[in-house]
Amino acid sequence: MAEASSSITEKFFLTLKSSDGDEFVLEESIAIQSITIKNMVEDGCSSSVIPLSKVDTETLIKVIEYMKMHSSTSSNEEEIENFDKKFVSNSINTILNILEAANFLDINNLLELCAEAVANRIKNKTPEAVRKIFNITSDFTPEEEAEIRNETPWAFEGNLDHSLD
Amino acid sequence: MESEAQVSSISMEESSFEIPIELITEILSRLPVKSLLRFRCVSKSWLCLISSPEFAYTHLNIAANSKEYTQHSVILKSCPPDFKLKNCSLSSLLYDSVTEAFDLGYPMKKPWGYVRIVGSVNGLVCLVIERKYFLLWNPSIRKFKKLPDPRGGYYIMYGFGYDELHDDYKVVVISDRLSYNGLDHVGVRIYSLKSNSWRNIRERWSGKLPSMWGAFLNGKLHWTALTRSGIFYIDLADEKWGKMKQPCFGKGDFDIWLCMGVLGSDLSLFCNIPKTRAEMWVMKEYGVEESWTKMFTVNWPDDPVEYAFCPPFCMSNKGEISFWFGSTFMIYNPKDSSIRYREVTNRGVIYEADIYIESLVWPVFTKQTRMQQQRRLKKLR
Repeated sequence: MAEASSSITEKFFLTLKSSDGDEFVLEESIAIQSITIKNMVEDGCSSSVIPLSKVDTETLIKVIEYMKMHSSTSSNEEEIENFDKKFVSNSINTILNILEAANFLDINNLLELCAEAVANRIKNKTPEAVRKIFNITSDFTPEEEAEIRNETPWAFEGNLDHSLD
Repeated sequence: MESEAQVSSISMEESSFEIPIELITEILSRLPVKSLLRFRCVSKSWLCLISSPEFAYTHLNIAANSKEYTQHSVILKSCPPDFKLKNCSLSSLLYDSVTEAFDLGYPMKKPWGYVRIVGSVNGLVCLVIERKYFLLWNPSIRKFKKLPDPRGGYYIMYGFGYDELHDDYKVVVISDRLSYNGLDHVGVRIYSLKSNSWRNIRERWSGKLPSMWGAFLNGKLHWTALTRSGIFYIDLADEKWGKMKQPCFGKGDFDIWLCMGVLGSDLSLFCNIPKTRAEMWVMKEYGVEESWTKMFTVNWPDDPVEYAFCPPFCMSNKGEISFWFGSTFMIYNPKDSSIRYREVTNRGVIYEADIYIESLVWPVFTKQTRMQQQRRLKKLR
């Protein structure tokens, strides 16, 4: 046991394990921004390594970066704002992975940030580009799709973005 | 309803989503309406999601609470006779120096000359045509409905709001059917979208003739007289009238012209003292008359103001207040009392303006739309 020599509260650490098997040590006060982890700590399940089977290493590194920046003590508002802006400039695929991790780990701020970022990135895109990004195959017949398009032709006007990122 | 839920769960199982539908909902509920209409053709499950009334309200809630007003629009009406309805983005108006206005596809055939904006709630805009016919319109999805004739005579005031208790949209009209002399003779009629009909409100009230537009807040429509008197309101749920005091505008016999509105989530009065100044008053605690607070005073520039006006106003996330005056939009900064002007291109001569949220909400169910929906759901199965 570490000795609490000063008046500073003793720091606890948790070990998080990604789906690729990499382990990350993180201060408990930072990690419990994740409600999923917080519940595990409260249930006493955190003494050993916490396996996060749904989060790969690349994504977990990003999530930890985010939690460190957003932990209550370390950063000021302007720093956080700049960090968030840079954070959402990652590729759409990366943000989608982080979004899923935020959902699994139950980190609401991060989930909202990512959902907003994806929405911003796809808002001017064509339906075809959106299908590719979300890995969706259209299940409409060409006639059905034409009918839907004809209901709101103005939604397809203007300079639409065909890119996938 | 039941069959719809069934369909969406089946299509969810069948689809090859890597991303769960609840996360798709999180993303889509942050998109502008135009994008959502375009993405209806992405897949059957996206069509189901975007078409559902539940999603429309999820989307509305997020849009209404957006701090940057990214999903808010300003509807502009230019002067008759070359009347046109246009819109421009509220966030652009607040944060950019130049904003472009676009023509809204006004649904009715011309010439409909005299159109006025009654009010807006949940993305629905209510218009009154030639003081006689009412039109419910969602400009973002370009759907409209002509309301039945209220047979109420000549309207002197009206308002549009949402009754949350009964999940119903209501229009209130007050008309001088019998006499101009006293409000005892004034008829009050209320329209309910659910029943698609008008009926009389029995309860009478008396007082001075109020201004034309009702301000909608907390389930109630509020009117004020143009000059010093009280504020009248009607609760849209129980349809009962109430009265509140105006703030004390100061001593003296100067003319004032009042306009009722909502600033943030507070009832507000814009008090114009022609050719001199305007004051913005806010009721900080709803229903508490002592909480009327003067937010700021704008001294009018040298150019005298000939006409009183009824401005829509809103507060930016920086605490600045935007309002419009004549044909000009202004941003007032209470910290240093500075006024900045905003240029709106393609706007014409603006006669009226109001703020609405861009939403998918369309609570009108006709036989035709029901059949259309059933046909589509059948196909999706």
